Order: sequence, then structure tokens, then C-alpha cells
Amino acid sequence: MAAAIETRKLTKTYKSRLHGLINVVQDLDLTVEEGEIFGFLGPNGAGKTTTIKMLLGIIYPTGGEGFVLGKEIGDMDVHRIISYLPERPYYYEHMTGLEILRFYGALFGIKDEALFNQLLERVNLAADKSKTISQFSKGMQQRIGLAQSLLNDPKLLFLDEPTGGLDPIAHIEIRDLILNFRDEGRTVFISSHELSEVERICDRVAIINKGIIVRQGKLDDLLSGGRIEIIADDVSKEIADQVKGTTDATVSFHDGRLIVDMSDEQDPNSVVDSIRSTKGRIISLTPRRKRLEDLFIETVRDDDASKKKPAAVAAEVGGAQ
Amino acid sequence: MRPIMAIATTTVGEAIRRRVLLIILFIGVLLLSIIPSLSVLTARSEQSTMISTMYAVLRGTSALIAIILTIYMIPNEIERRTIYTILSKPVMRWQFLVGKFMGAVLALGLMIVLMSSVMVLLFYIFQQPSPERLLEVARQPFFYFLEMMLLAAVCIFFSTFTTPLVNFFLSIGIWGVGTVLSPLYSSIASNSGASPIMQSVAKFVTGAMPAFSNYDVKNPIINPGQVIENEQKYFIYIVLYAILYSAGLLVAGMVIFDKREV
Repeated sequence: MAAAIETRKLTKTYKSRLHGLINVVQDLDLTVEEGEIFGFLGPNGAGKTTTIKMLLGIIYPTGGEGFVLGKEIGDMDVHRIISYLPERPYYYEHMTGLEILRFYGALFGIKDEALFNQLLERVNLAADKSKTISQFSKGMQQRIGLAQSLLNDPKLLFLDEPTGGLDPIAHIEIRDLILNFRDEGRTVFISSHELSEVERICDRVAIINKGIIVRQGKLDDLLSGGRIEIIADDVSKEIADQVKGTTDATVSFHDGRLIVDMSDEQDPNSVVDSIRSTKGRIISLTPRRKRLEDLFIETVRDDDASKKKPAAVAAEVGGAQ
Repeated sequence: MRPIMAIATTTVGEAIRRRVLLIILFIGVLLLSIIPSLSVLTARSEQSTMISTMYAVLRGTSALIAIILTIYMIPNEIERRTIYTILSKPVMRWQFLVGKFMGAVLALGLMIVLMSSVMVLLFYIFQQPSPERLLEVARQPFFYFLEMMLLAAVCIFFSTFTTPLVNFFLSIGIWGVGTVLSPLYSSIASNSGASPIMQSVAKFVTGAMPAFSNYDVKNPIINPGQVIENEQKYFIYIVLYAILYSAGLLVAGMVIFDKREV
């Protein structure tokens, strides 16, 4: 599969009067395959939006190189087949949903009224097409944003916090739309803080911290190697105590129901055998993977700690001298 | 051309809804409306006082609208992030800038036409002039429109690299120099008695600064005895000057904006 996005040592450095040179993004090596939903994660100020802006050619890299759909970033031909939904987008408030689509359509030279209406229907705004943007809720504004991002039938969509600040129903609607994009063969690049959403929809993720990619890979691989959960009924107190004593697991027991949460590196058969030996009933045995939230926190904390260590050592050395 | 037109029409739509501009426009129209009743109090010719005061109100209001309209144009687009959605489409930065400028000029045109219509109507009602005289009075607003186009180009140029506040003072300053001080510097530049340093400064000001005073051609209208030598040639010159100077400022703005981080 070809790469929809590829960057090599992509760097963005700003000059600050107070702090000198600041590396907002440093030596970014990123590959996003065509047809996948790619999650780009990181804490606030990690360099996510800067990376997206560089990939869109809105700001200029100070080092390295980047390619979008096989062409160098900033190439106008690429802009005809990509699309961008910024974080908390603003649209001209005096315009209606239909007028917004007409305006953005005109930027591509599209005047297809049937397409505009079809897109409004797709994002459930057909009934509100005469309302002005000032009358739109946040969710509606996000949906009109998605509609405008589909005007040119893009191969690649950049979505910056697409579900930020939305209510749960709007979340689900936006998530379904994004999943449909993948079904249609589009590549979706999502920058988000909503880790549970990313975990639900992304194929691969990269975690960026302080401008550097600290982890990147398939979500299944990154989250595998997790835990196993065993739920059983009609279990005696003695067996529950026995399981507690023999395994390094979290065990809860109440009214004959036993729930065991153990590492998948341990053998679950011994627990299952113990339960069944006293006529206990196995309800379920479920391999559980890590949550993205845990992976994200673990990754960012480890990275912060590893970056502090050299500084601390240097301070100690400096102090000793 | 399509993106430029789309951006220009959207800019017009937004400009004519901006409350602050509508308030300035309303005050301008209100001032124009009360001028006929005030001009009877003057000792000078009622008609010439009325015309010159109306022109002053029209020019001042138009300049304020031109500055307020354009200084926020680029910064607002960046602050509200609309520029990102637009520039992620097949739109070059220069197209965005030209679209914004054209939208500003169109909106200014609409507002000047509205104020001029009120002015001409009031002049007709209170003075009952001949059709030729009425046409003569209606001519000056066109030149004010060209002046405001030039002022809008100055503001758009500054907005590519300064904040709205700095832009406001810079633009007001340049307009002030170009309207009030330009004739003074012109006379210094051509006065052989002036010191060489003063002459150089005066030549720089008259040569490099936009000559807004060129567009104030009301004297022959107010004082029918006065005439502009080679009137047709002069009008062609100032029309071309406005177009070329604005184009030059836009090109300079494009070069700066193209390199700017937004």
C-alpha cells in the first residue's frame, strides 16, 4: 500500500526573544498508509497542530521533508484532493449551511447544487440548511465542517479534534461519519485528545510529546499483551481464597461470583481447573487489551521522566563542580 | 479567478453586516442629513458651504470605514482560523489577499454610493440645481472612492505584518500626510529657497507616499470660477495612479504574506 503521508526528519523551529530557538516539532518521521484512520496523539502543545499545518503547507518547515499523496507538501495539486477540518472551526456567521458549501465549493470551482444538498443530507443538516451559522449548535458547526471537507471528494482528510467539545450524541454521529470515510477508501488523519474515540476508530496511532514522536504503530500491536478476565459463578469461598493465593491477580468475590483479572503472561488454565473442580461455572474468559489511555499516559510519563533525567544528572554534575 | 471572486463576495457579505461599520455609516448619513439645515447659518455662500461640508463628511466617514474595514481583515481570518480552511483548499495566498482587497473595495464602493446618493438627493432637494450642476457635484465621490481604494491597499499592505492597532495609527498617519501635508511638502519640494535636506524630505514624501490629496478635486465644484488644467488628462492620471499604486502595495503585501507564518 502506498503512503498517504510520509515525513522525514520534518522539523519546525521558532525563534523566541525570551527562550531562543524552540523546536516545536523535531525530526518527525511519520508514515500514514492510504485507506487507514491514523490517530495523532499528544498532550497540549506537543506539536500536533503545527505538524498538520506543515503537512497542509500553511506553515513552512524549517528542516526535513514531507510528502502528501506522493507530492511535496505545499503542492497545489494535492490541495485539490485533500481536506482539512480545523479544531473549533469558525464559519462566516451570516451564511447559511448551504451558502457555506457554495462558498467553499466555489474555491474548487464546484457549483453543483445537487452535491451541496446531498452533503447536507449526509451530515443530517438538510432540514437546517436555511439556518445561519450563528443559529447552529457546536455539533452542527462541526457537521457543516465535515460537509465542507467532503466537497472535493478528498482522498485524505485532516481532522483536528473533530469531536472536541461535543455532546455524546454528536460524538457518535461524527464517529460514524469518520468510519464511513474509511469504508469509502479515504485516508483519515485525526489529531485528538479523545483517546476512547481514537481507540474505537483508528488503525494506527503515533504519540508525539514535546515535538518528538515517542511511539508509533498499529493500535492492536501497541495495546496487545494485556490482561485476561475470568468470570465464574457458584464458586466456593475456599476456591476463591485458593485463587487469590496462587495467582498474582486482582480477585473479587461476592455471593458466589468470582472475578479474576490477571496478566496474560500467567496460565489461566490452573484457575479455570480449580473453579471447575468444585462445580463452579465459568461464565467468561476474556482476553483484555490495554486501554489507549493507559498506553498514552505511560508513554508520555516515561518520556517526560527520561527527558528530566539527563537534566537532573547535568544539574548534579554542575552542583558537584 | 474563481477563488478570488468567491473570497471577495464573502468579504462584502461580511463587511456590510459589521455593526461598527454600519454605525459609522449611519453617523455619516446622519451628519449629511443635518448639513443642509446648518449651512443657512453661514455667512459664506450657502451652496458652497453645503457642498464642501458634505464632501468633508463623506471623505472623513469613508476614510474611517476604509481603515476599520481593512485593518482587521487578515488578523481576524487568522484568529478565527477561517484562513486555514481556505488555504487548505487550492487557493494561493496571493489569491486570498487579492480576494480580500477586492471585497473591501466593493464594500467601500457600496457604502460610498449610499452616502453619495443621500448627499446628492439632499443637495437636489435643498438647492434645486441644474442637471449639469448636479452631475458636477456627483463627480467628486467617484474620486473619493479611488482615494479610499488606495487607502484600503495601504491598510491591507500593513495588515500582512502588523497588528490592527499599529496598522490603524500607521494608516491614519499616512492618510494624514497624504491629504493634509502632501500639498505643503509639494510646495517645499519645488521651493528653491528651502534647505536641501528639507527639499529631499519633501521630495521623498511627495514621491513615495500615496498622494491622497490628488483626489480632492472639489475646488472647481465649490468655486465655479476655478478650473483644472487639462482636466481629462488629470483625471486619467489619478485613476491610473490609484490603480497602479494599489497594485504595487498589493504585490508588496503578497510577497510579505507569502512568507508569513499564519
